[in-house]
Amino acid sequence: MKDNLPDKDGFFGEYGGKFVPETLMYALNELEQTYKTLKDNNDFNAEFHKDLAEFVGRPSPLYFAKRLTEHYRTASIWLKREDLNHTGAHKINNTVGQILLAKYMGKKRIIAETGAGQHGVATATVAARLGLDCHIYMGSEDVRRQSLNVYRMKLLGAEVHEVNSGSATLKDALNEALRDWVTNIEDTYYIIGSVTGPHPYPMIVRDFNAVVGYELIEQSQESFGRMPDSIIACVGGGSNAMGIFYPFIKMDNVELIGVEAAGKGIETGEHAAPLNDGTPGVLHGAKSYLMQDESGQVKGTASISAGLDYPGVGPEHSWLKDIKRAKYVAVSDDEVMKAFHMVNKMEGILPALETAHAFAYLDELMPKMNEDQHIVINVSGRGDKDLNSVVEIEGIKL
Amino acid sequence: MKRIEKKLKELSQDNQKAFVGYIVAGDPDLETSLELMHLSVDSGVDILEIGVPFTDPIAEGPTIQQAHDRSLENQTNLQKIVDLVGKFREKDSNTPIILMGYINNFLMYKDLINRSHDLGVDGVLVVDIPGELSLEDYGIDNQDLDVISLVSPTTSKDRVKEIVKNSTGFIYYVTLRGVTGSSNLDGNEIEKNIKHIKSISSIPVMAGFGIKNSDDAKLLSSFSDGIVIGSSIVELIYKNSENKDFHEVSDYISNMKDAIR
Repeated sequence: MKDNLPDKDGFFGEYGGKFVPETLMYALNELEQTYKTLKDNNDFNAEFHKDLAEFVGRPSPLYFAKRLTEHYRTASIWLKREDLNHTGAHKINNTVGQILLAKYMGKKRIIAETGAGQHGVATATVAARLGLDCHIYMGSEDVRRQSLNVYRMKLLGAEVHEVNSGSATLKDALNEALRDWVTNIEDTYYIIGSVTGPHPYPMIVRDFNAVVGYELIEQSQESFGRMPDSIIACVGGGSNAMGIFYPFIKMDNVELIGVEAAGKGIETGEHAAPLNDGTPGVLHGAKSYLMQDESGQVKGTASISAGLDYPGVGPEHSWLKDIKRAKYVAVSDDEVMKAFHMVNKMEGILPALETAHAFAYLDELMPKMNEDQHIVINVSGRGDKDLNSVVEIEGIKL
Repeated sequence: MKRIEKKLKELSQDNQKAFVGYIVAGDPDLETSLELMHLSVDSGVDILEIGVPFTDPIAEGPTIQQAHDRSLENQTNLQKIVDLVGKFREKDSNTPIILMGYINNFLMYKDLINRSHDLGVDGVLVVDIPGELSLEDYGIDNQDLDVISLVSPTTSKDRVKEIVKNSTGFIYYVTLRGVTGSSNLDGNEIEKNIKHIKSISSIPVMAGFGIKNSDDAKLLSSFSDGIVIGSSIVELIYKNSENKDFHEVSDYISNMKDAIR
């Protein structure tokens, strides 16, 4: 199994590439060159891993979910605790890495898009640490449902730009960040928050998040003496999934399962599951599965979770789907809420609504497993940020 | 001879610069777009650039983005736009027409685009496909269609060479770092870069992005083969869409044409 992709033009099979306006080509090529040079540079890697250890708090534990395991009575369920990272999600791994690239490139201004706000917070955090000017683009619909994270970004000194164009969610925030970058190309570093966007971003974001997968190899060996049978992760753009999947792509006996947001149900068309119900297309600089109509217009999405509310997906996932190396399923908002409560009550863990999608697949998966098997769920983030949404959805008065 | 080449040759023989005018098809509606295409040509536009609306037009500033959104509310798609060009051709067989848009829409209508030359389309400008890539690799391979590419202030010299090699019709030189409708033109930089393109190729070079008034138009036309104006025209169309009296559009185009004479 090939794990040396993308190719030199940034493609994973037919997916990926650099479909961008001409002005951006210079910056993408500059970034690609810099990354190529630094990737194997000892000083750069030492600095990255020192930050991961001392600032992020890595490695994140691999935790045995005893009560969940007893509940399903088949395979052992293990949790990779990315929710325990500084700032509360896997997103910080990538921003710690990319801010170092920005530093080595001498960029003074940082921009980023955010959906749930986790990437915005993670970006504002690393920018604050280096004293860099930071601008976050966020759809106005997401600003509303993730107001706590908006305030956190402001506390960290970032300027939050509310985006009202289009559907006013993550995809529009990405459009606006790209427009900012086109305008301020020379002094600005764009920290993309997922394995999406033009090459080299899907590769860079994957590589910085792959620390999760590499840790899991060691921890699996220590905890149960072999590699897991299945790894489950939620997929929006797909960065937490790509990070934990990547080191396992070449291990054919490890099943990789990505869980997309079925929203109100795949059959209703109101969802955010391009790998389950999309077709190949080009959005935000890359070819990948996409929710679009027959004219090539990008469709609106629906998901309970702002972080998964995106019509596209990282190109490497599209490739893994087509070559059948990973399996992509989808769970509905209702199933997610049920899982959200279950994980709180049984494990004392408050998962992000994004992460709850991965847990929601257990009902379907676990009856097919047996007691000798081990599955790992990537607990991509914690759910404090979602409490406002949950209260609103369930009509609770506080 | 292809229509774009013929038009540019005629203009240059008369010592004239070309005026490329951009409108978004379907804004405010397709019927009015047809009227605006003829009105633009009558007022001084030499080459029509027809914007194909997309939900996520990342190279556009707010003015053109909103025009795309308005057009999409009318369910405008490439089929309807090619039909529009056909209707335009009933009365005008001289003015070159370029479809400008984003790769995702063009990929959905590959066959139509390949047939579109017979239906009156002269060229395509796909904003989000880098100029050194060939549209042929993506199934758009009708040799009669001109493929217009963008070169920007940040394009390296090596890449300019590749882009020029893969382009026909003309090169669209993006005059600033930014989206359509921005400001801050740097005359010296633009002149230097256009001179460079001209030193390695005989392909005509049009300058666009950020031209607002006759001074901008005059300056840029002095070192290019012509200018492209989009946002200002789109803005004036929007302003007058309610009563559909477009004499302001017509006056603006005539003034710009005079400025580059």
